This record gives sequence, structure tokens and C-alpha cells, in this order.
Amino acid sequence: MVLEIGDLKARTCQGPTRRGFLRLGASLPGILGLGTAAQIVEGAVSRAPRAKSVVFVFNWGAPSHLDTLDPKPNAPAEYRGPFGVIPTRTPGVHFTELVPQIAQRSHLFTLVRSHVTTSPGHPDGGTHALTGFPERPLPVKPNFGSIVAKDRGQSGNLPAFISVARGAVMDGGRILEGYGGGTLGKAYDPFLAGASETGEVQIPSLQLLDGLQPTRISDRRTLIRQLDAIPQNLEAAGLEDWNRTAQAAYGLLMDPQARNAFDLTKESPQTRQRYGQSVFGQSALLARRLVEAEVPYIQLNYSRHVEAITPGFEFGWDTHIYNFDLLQDLHCPIFDRAFSAFLDDLNERGLLEDTLVICMGEFGRTPKINNRAARDHWPPCYFSMWAGAGIEPGRVIGESDRLGEHPLSDPITPLMVGTTIAEFAGMDAQSRAEMEVLDGGTVIQGLL
Amino acid sequence: MDFSNMAITKLPNGYLTIVTGVWACLMVAMVEGSEPQRLTYDGRIKMGPTFLDDEELIFVDLAKPELTSILRMNLRDGTIEPLHTDAKSQELEPAFSDDGVYCVFLRARGALSVELVIRNEREKTEAIVPPANGFCGFRTPAFFRHGKRVVFSYAEDGRQDIFSVNLQGEDRQQHTQNNGMNYWPSFSPSDEQLLFGSTRDGNYEIYRMKPDGSEVVRLTNHPFQDVRPQYSPDGKRIAFTSHRDGNFEIYLMDTNGDNLQRVTNHPERDDFPTWHPDGRHLVMISERQGSHDLYMVEVD
Repeated sequence: MVLEIGDLKARTCQGPTRRGFLRLGASLPGILGLGTAAQIVEGAVSRAPRAKSVVFVFNWGAPSHLDTLDPKPNAPAEYRGPFGVIPTRTPGVHFTELVPQIAQRSHLFTLVRSHVTTSPGHPDGGTHALTGFPERPLPVKPNFGSIVAKDRGQSGNLPAFISVARGAVMDGGRILEGYGGGTLGKAYDPFLAGASETGEVQIPSLQLLDGLQPTRISDRRTLIRQLDAIPQNLEAAGLEDWNRTAQAAYGLLMDPQARNAFDLTKESPQTRQRYGQSVFGQSALLARRLVEAEVPYIQLNYSRHVEAITPGFEFGWDTHIYNFDLLQDLHCPIFDRAFSAFLDDLNERGLLEDTLVICMGEFGRTPKINNRAARDHWPPCYFSMWAGAGIEPGRVIGESDRLGEHPLSDPITPLMVGTTIAEFAGMDAQSRAEMEVLDGGTVIQGLL
Repeated sequence: MDFSNMAITKLPNGYLTIVTGVWACLMVAMVEGSEPQRLTYDGRIKMGPTFLDDEELIFVDLAKPELTSILRMNLRDGTIEPLHTDAKSQELEPAFSDDGVYCVFLRARGALSVELVIRNEREKTEAIVPPANGFCGFRTPAFFRHGKRVVFSYAEDGRQDIFSVNLQGEDRQQHTQNNGMNYWPSFSPSDEQLLFGSTRDGNYEIYRMKPDGSEVVRLTNHPFQDVRPQYSPDGKRIAFTSHRDGNFEIYLMDTNGDNLQRVTNHPERDDFPTWHPDGRHLVMISERQGSHDLYMVEVD
């Protein structure tokens, strides 16, 4: 077996040696997935970004727009759904009763109600939402986070693009193609980290090292002892994954400041409670800590899996059945609390000024209730929330028609979302062109 | 032995028991009946509590992000264990026959496909009612005719009606025929009245009717959600959840909709009320400081 990372080759019949691994850790200037020093210079930000950090809250599975932030109380019964509407802090703007806390924070964000996409299924729609382009034609384009990561480079020993979930986001058993570096290469795939509902941070790349967690690494000897377990674990985990992520994990483990960003036990009980005892709640708290640590791009996923209820999968937003039930009982209470706490926390700490927060799914859900008394996919109309980074809050951009089927105003595409993010992150048209990304994209008028 | 944390107390079922520690404080306060008293402490997301008998409380627990499990809690000693140790998939919304022999619940069987399971808990045998092909599932099952039939909610053709089957999962009968979504069937102790929630008038309200679908009476009328109605064991009162005050709270009303009483009043969520068999206590799931636990409140 041969392990190659940079210029080091460690050969063993059982796998890499721990000595080789440690030499490796000391030999490279950065961490794979973050760009090399040369890349950092080459991709230097062309002008000061309005957003030091970008947080893309991905409501994977696609929440219903009519049942949350774009209700249609005057639509016929087979469209409007069973929930009441409540006023927000923005005059004349109403949400459903399922998101009362977000409604009370409408002064912190701008709502966009005129999104459209051309991708009707989750794999394609998810990739489209995260890259600005459909899966096909190949090659798959880079995730917005990969673009920002390449442009910005690393921040100390922390990865420049971190995806927060209990693994790479999936549809069924398939990892979303747009989750990573695409044409920029796997070096710009996100570093994966997740949190349990009680705030234990999980880093999949460290699962190669049995029982190892950031909070448990206090010295080099501990790490070396754990490395003895690598060869047997490596076989199962796959050499390719090891190549890509091991150095990132190593850099993280050996840097107390970097580890600190992943340690939710540093938060007060009051703060942890504020976000709620849920995977998404504690993941949102982790995202806030990563913003404090100035990680350039964080993709905060509501769930790892898209399906609403399927054996072995997390409960996602894809509510072809039980739409009203799951929104009422599970998703909206969790999301309303955690996202509100996240906005408040960023705002109170002064972080919202130079952090861009975007929250959206990959499409909307059918305005007309389906045969199973739920809602299916609806690409022609959905919504997003944009906060921070100097965006004037408390507004609504775009409008959907009386049934929530189509935008009445100029449609906003996934490519426009990515282009706008890039602008906020300090990448102008020239730097995007030089990187050969987001080709043909325009910004969302009214946000910048 | 340290006796400082011990208590001899009377449970709602009349049993005297010796309990210790936190549980002692809990049980004493519960009998005295004032503020809701906490029964669990793990804080995990929970749903659908129901009593198996006056000692055993059944509920659904989000044990892992990808797994909901049905748990049974013994109120005498506080122990909690899985109801189905062989469960491999999400299980939801349990209900028991009066004699405790049969449990009906929902079980995920595939991608967005949820079956109805009628399980003989003594013999460990199951009658399964499969959903239609594609994305499909059952909702909110319960027993009636003293445990001889199972009633449930099922969506087809754009509406969700209430149906029932026998213990073999056969002989399907339809109890509602109405546009809208009909949920949470709860029979009166005599089985003469069927309580349910429905969106037939535009939003979630609570209704009562004869089991054959006749004599429908609307019991609530509010623009926000009124959901999860449950007859009290004596059939004289109804407990339900309402969002009418801006968050979920537990309410009581008479069977004709009169005498509305608010049971809980907290800025966080109180939901999923279920009657203790003594008819004087409700168990509910309350969110406190972001955690979800079972609480018991005296309502007499």
C-alpha cells in the first residue's frame, strides 16, 4: 500500500506508519482542502470583502414556501394549507404560525420570494442550489464554498470551507455531487463536521482514529497512541478519503485554537439551550463558533439526508407525505428556535456586520396539496433569507403570485445566488473569470 | 442508607411506594399537584405519549437523528426501556387496546412509505396494513370497540379521511368523507362518539361525530391550530393542544366545547396531552430551555 500526500511516500504492508504520518504533518505548509501557500497568494482577494464569513444554511429537502415564509391565506383550500398567518416585524409581511420566532426577527434579514430553479429532483436541484449549475452537462461545477475557499485561502489551521452535518449531504444513498470542489478539484471539498443534539462535535475524518475527539487531544502523545489504530481502520475508510482529509484533521488536532472552534462545551448552558437540544440547533451553534474563528465559508445543513421519513435516514424537509404533520411537530419548531437563536447570537456579538447568512432550500413545494395530503417538489417558486454583511434588513425582494406558483417579479436563479455570495465574499467579476467559475452570473439586485 | 431523599408517596393509581432521590421529590410534588412535574431528564425530542395502564407510560423518543423508538416508562420505579427491542426502523404514534394486549403503531418500511402495524404484544405477532405504492403512510391510529378495531387517518385522492380495520388489518370501513385532512381520532369510553381534528373548514379545528360519520359538531373555532383532542377516561372532558395564544399550550373543554380552560402557560411549547387513567392528571411533552421532556400535571 502506498500513501501519497505532497512529496512524502510512506510504504507499509499494513498502511501508513504513524511516524510517516507525523513527518507528513510537519512537512506541508497547509492543510489539504485549504489550498497551498502558492494558491493563497495567487487567489488573493481583490478587494476587501463585505463578508469575512459566509454561512449558507441549507434546508436540504426543500421546505414548503406556502407553509412557512410565503403563505397564501386567500388561496383556495386545496392550496393554502391549514396553518394560520401571523404578522412579522416588517409591516405588511406575514408568515405562518409555524415560525413565530423568525417572524419576530424579520428586522434582521431580507426575504426573497421569487426564486426559481430548473432542476426538479433532489440530486440535481441540490447540486444546482449549491453550485449555481445543474449536474449535467458535466463536469460538475464547484460548490460556492469551494470557490470562496480557493479565493480566500485558509484561516490558521482551520479549513476554509466547512460543511456542518453528520457527514456529506445525501439523497438516498448517494452523496450530492455539488457538495464539493467540482472543477476546482477535490482539494476544495468541504471539511466535514457535525454536532449531536447534546453538542458533541463529530468529525468524520477523525473516525479513522477510534475514540478521538478534538476535546480529548491534549498532547502529542495522545495522538500518537491513537495513530496506532490507523492501519486497520484505513482499510475500511478508504485510502482516497484518507489522502484528502487526514492532514486537515491532523492540523486541526494539533492546534489548540483550531480545536477550540469545535468545542461547544466552551459555551454557557444558557447559550446551548437557546439553540435547542437538536442536531440542527447544536450544529447552528457550532456554525457560530466557526464564524467567530473566521472560517470563510460554512455550509450549515438542516439534515444530512433529504427524506422526511425513511429507515436509516435523518428526518429531512422532503415531505411528500406528512408535510403538515412534520412541519408542525418537528421541523418548524426546531428550525424556528435554532435559526432565530443563530441570528440573535450573531447580532448580539457584532458578528452579523461582517458575516453573510443565506438560508434556503433547493426548491419550493407544490402549492396545490397532493394526493397524499402533502406537497411535492416545486422548482418554479421558492424563498430565501439573507442577513448581515451590510444588507439592509427588514425588506422583501420579489413577489410570488396569488397561489405561490410563480414569481411576479424578475426570477432569481441559483447562479445569481452564487454570484451574489461571491461578490459579498470579495470576488468581483474579474476574479471569478480568472478562476473560471460562476460564468454568466449576475447579482441579485437590491441586496448589494 | 440516606433517608433524606426518600419519600413514601401515593401514586395516581393508589399504590404506596418508596422512592428515592430526585424521583422522590418528583412524586410527592406530583400528588400534591401544582406546577407540572418533570418525569424524564434526557431532553431528547419526544412525541405521542400514551398510557398502557396506570403504571406504564409509552412514548416516542428521537433516540438518534435517524431513529424514533417507542419507549415504555414504569412510573413506579422510573425505569425506561424500549417497547420493541427488535425495532430496526422508525416507529411512531403507539396506542394500546384496553386490555393492553394489542399495540398499534406506525413503522417506516421504505422511502417515504409507512405501514400500520397491529401487534399482539404477548404473542409477538403482527398484522400489517401496507400503504399504497409510492410515497404513502398512515397517521394517528387508536383503538375503539373496546380494543376490537383500529381507527386511523389515511390520505388518498387529495384528502385525508378516518378509517378503521379489525385486528387482522382487514374489513376497512370509512368514518369521514370530507374534503380536508382528518386526524387524531379519539373515541369516548362508550364508543358512541368519535372525537377528531379536521381542516374541513380551512384550518385545524376539533370536531365530534357519531362513528358512522353522522351528527358532526364543531367544538372549536379559532384561526390558529387546535389539535390532538383526547377524551378523558370518564368521557366528560377533552384535552387538546392549541396555538391560539401564540405558542402551543394545553387546554381542556367540555365535550360540547364549553368551559374552555387553559392548563399550561409557558413561553415554550407544551404539547401532546394524554390522560392518566385516573382522569385527574395529564402527561404532556414540554419544551423547557430547548429540551423536550415528559411532564405530568394535575388537572382536577
